[in-house]
Amino acid sequence: MGRHRKTMIALGLLASAVFLFLAVRRLDFASLRAIFARADLLPWVPLGVLSYVAGHVVRGLRCRLLVRREANLRLVTASNIVVVGYAANNVFPARLGELVRAGMLAERTGIPIAQSLVVTFIERVLDGLAILLLLVVGTMNGGAPGWTGDLVRVALLVFGGACAVMLFAVYSPALVVAGASRVGNRLGPRWHDRLVGLATSITNGGACLRDPKNAVWILFYSAVVWVLETGLFLAILPVFGLAPSFTAAAVAMSVTNLGLLVPSSPGFIGPFHFFCSRALMTHGVDEATALAYATVVHLAFYVPVTLWGAASMLWYGVEVGATAAMTREARAAGKELEIGGVVLHELATLSPATADEPASAFTTALVEAIVVPSGKRVEPTALRDAADFVHGQLGSLQPQLAMLFEGGMTFFRLVTRVRHLRGYCDLPLDTRRAWTLSWAESRYGLLRKLFKPVRATALLAYFDHPAMRASIVVPAKQLARKKGAASSAAPSGSAATGVEAE
Amino acid sequence: MKTQVLVIGSGAGGATTAYELARAGVDVTVLEEGKRHDRAKTYGLGTTEGMKHLYRRRGMTPILGRVPIGYVEGSCFGGSTEINSGFWHRTPREVLARWQAQFDLEGASPEELAPHFAWAEEALSVSLSGRPFEKSTEVFARGAAAMDWAAHEVPRAATGCKSTNSCAVGCPTGAKQGMSISILPRAEAAGARVLTSARVRLLIKQGSRITGVLAEVELEDGARKLVRVDAEHVFVCAGPTETPALLRRTGIKFHVGDTLRIHPMLKVVARFRERIAAYDSVLPVLQVREFSPEVSMGGAFFTPGHAALSLSDNWDPARLDAIENMAGYYVAVRGRGRGQVRSSQLGDGETMLRYELAEEDVVNLSNGLARLATLLLAAGAEEVYPTVQGMAPITSEKQAIRWLDERLPRSALSLTTVHAFSACPIGERTDRCAADSYGKVPRWDNLYVNDASMLPDSPGVNPQGSVMAFARRNALHFLSRLGPS
Repeated sequence: MGRHRKTMIALGLLASAVFLFLAVRRLDFASLRAIFARADLLPWVPLGVLSYVAGHVVRGLRCRLLVRREANLRLVTASNIVVVGYAANNVFPARLGELVRAGMLAERTGIPIAQSLVVTFIERVLDGLAILLLLVVGTMNGGAPGWTGDLVRVALLVFGGACAVMLFAVYSPALVVAGASRVGNRLGPRWHDRLVGLATSITNGGACLRDPKNAVWILFYSAVVWVLETGLFLAILPVFGLAPSFTAAAVAMSVTNLGLLVPSSPGFIGPFHFFCSRALMTHGVDEATALAYATVVHLAFYVPVTLWGAASMLWYGVEVGATAAMTREARAAGKELEIGGVVLHELATLSPATADEPASAFTTALVEAIVVPSGKRVEPTALRDAADFVHGQLGSLQPQLAMLFEGGMTFFRLVTRVRHLRGYCDLPLDTRRAWTLSWAESRYGLLRKLFKPVRATALLAYFDHPAMRASIVVPAKQLARKKGAASSAAPSGSAATGVEAE
Repeated sequence: MKTQVLVIGSGAGGATTAYELARAGVDVTVLEEGKRHDRAKTYGLGTTEGMKHLYRRRGMTPILGRVPIGYVEGSCFGGSTEINSGFWHRTPREVLARWQAQFDLEGASPEELAPHFAWAEEALSVSLSGRPFEKSTEVFARGAAAMDWAAHEVPRAATGCKSTNSCAVGCPTGAKQGMSISILPRAEAAGARVLTSARVRLLIKQGSRITGVLAEVELEDGARKLVRVDAEHVFVCAGPTETPALLRRTGIKFHVGDTLRIHPMLKVVARFRERIAAYDSVLPVLQVREFSPEVSMGGAFFTPGHAALSLSDNWDPARLDAIENMAGYYVAVRGRGRGQVRSSQLGDGETMLRYELAEEDVVNLSNGLARLATLLLAAGAEEVYPTVQGMAPITSEKQAIRWLDERLPRSALSLTTVHAFSACPIGERTDRCAADSYGKVPRWDNLYVNDASMLPDSPGVNPQGSVMAFARRNALHFLSRLGPS
């Protein structure tokens, strides 16, 4: 064991001891025993555990979405990875579980370790913001002691700063890589390649957030995770005869989790009890009851997840030290490739190109309203292919334009629902056609511009589709045959007439 | 291991550069962002497939501004030469004189450029079609004759064209001499290595030199890698929009991307009394040059889908019933407005284009529409449908000539363009040029631009000829400075 690691563990144990002392220094142990004797564990503790465990499943959903571009993780695998991290934090000091979790994510998905650490960083930043939000909600009714306000400000500074860094890396990857290249160039080719590779991994880690839909889901999952964790703190309140109050639970949960940022002994023994009990005492709960409450919440927090995590570790055969091994593997990047006689120095692996996806029901309904003329039969193959084409074209727009288009279409769908009291896809074709046309040919230029890309690509694809082309265009040979058969009275040279006659 | 010269892009500029340098014995590597396609499998498949495989961002690269302008360019082995019409023009004498006067452009007189044009014309077998006009050209010629306006058949780099109407989606017969079939095979035979599916993200700078590039490479198994390619000299030939964007992403911004010029184009669909079947033949090959270089008129690529698109500004699907009698034409102006190419600060540094129409552009487009509609009516058109929102079909000369005196409403215009240039103008005027007369970027010892972005200003004609002639001239100038290899 290295000296540095020994120092870390010693400091963690010291922090735990200090907080444990602070938590119990004025405690009347006799009344604590009496409180436990009166505790009403069922059904509250199982309910709390269920809520907490459900939170980890949602964490799995979020993790799966965060690495979706690189890997198709099953929900059970994603949840196991998340839980392994938490379990490792319960077993190892100084939040080393975060590294174990990143290592396992890298091992399961094949993404570089740096990218995996960035995914973990993003999760922690979003967690911090969600906790902060719940703390603000919990203290909004007034009466909260002054230190909670200080805590909000400090947390806002920490997580707000981290969030700014995250947003920069996620939304300006080109600048990050260019910056790394410039700095690296001053340090020599070896450092250049390392820094560029690292910067690429970092920017890839947040790539999923560039898709507005993904970003919204990830934010939503983050909120749900912490509401469910608040559920654990809420469910334990009645165990000690305390009124179930969401705000009290939210404050206890938020303060406890922010307190856990202090590196301490395995399982956060000490800091957890100190911060949890102090948070509850701000709601007028006596010290002994608050400590008893903190102890039960801690056990519900510690035992199930540690067991689940241990089982997962056994199942996947993850060993402590795998992280270091994978880091070494990641460093092996920088090898030379030769393709077609061109020598390339490989710096990083990028997400594979995504395959075309079929159009959504909304896009198909929109394309149908645009291209199928009133009174004419729809050509199903042409419609399906045109909708898929439009979907692909819109996906090829520059991100800023795509975002504007998505925003505009969300507005359109919202107005449609308000105006027609039904979703766009549920409207009859005639209504949909007229409604769409009223926007696409609106006197407001902005609305016309919104519909221009979808309208242009839809018409182009539908009327150039072989099935449609065959129905509106008379091939030259067929025309010659028809002319031969037609009487001389037929209007000469009128293709329109020819098509109608057909 | 360093390549001696790295050429970024395989379009008209990149292919010519690579060929001339490889032929002289220089070790050349070409990085092309697009794919190398099998002509038999991918070319001529139709609009949607063509856009998917051969166009940058599948053709979704609009130029933003108060009047958004649809713009497309190629992104494949051979660049935009795979999807253009193959029309060939030498840079007009008057335009060259103006460039010399305004940009102190050296070595670019018609006489100095003549051998380079002659070389390219021979290499691409540029010629007139030598056969009777297709119907869509015939009626256009009839209109020009009725108006007594100067018009001529445009030579094309398309020997033995089979009139499959596939120019814009890759010529399936190999008649059109895109770079993939003409210059690039020669360059490869001369020793140039071409790596496709390799998008250059950044030039690597060290002191006053570019030491290589960072590129995203897609391997055959679909895996993507970020790689570094080292080079002694770098020619950026990534096209009129990507070259300035790449330079700007790298932090090279001096007069780069500030002067994008285009040929704004207004399309019309004309319905004639007779059958035209324009969708079954090559686009009209006649251009009216009576008003050039400020205004030109000609025929547009036409399919049922393009007809629907052009008619969509005043949508009445019943009009498509007469598709047999329709053909598409355009009026294009030598844009006087000024555009910008920027690399987005967000995302992967995507290229963002802006252009604001100048007042002269609107005047020229209005006058051009009046004249084009008059010509088409004189040719026998019953109705002319302009791509102007809310404008009724033009059915008489009186309705047409109204636009000689009035201006088309900007907000109602649906404009497109396929010609962009001048975002990195060359010349000796340091107050307005991004590179010297031969494409060398100042302050950088080994960096050159050599594609449509270098043309100092709008040439007023299809730019492929100008790009190839200037690119060859610059490549030979580079070789003369490089010395024996």
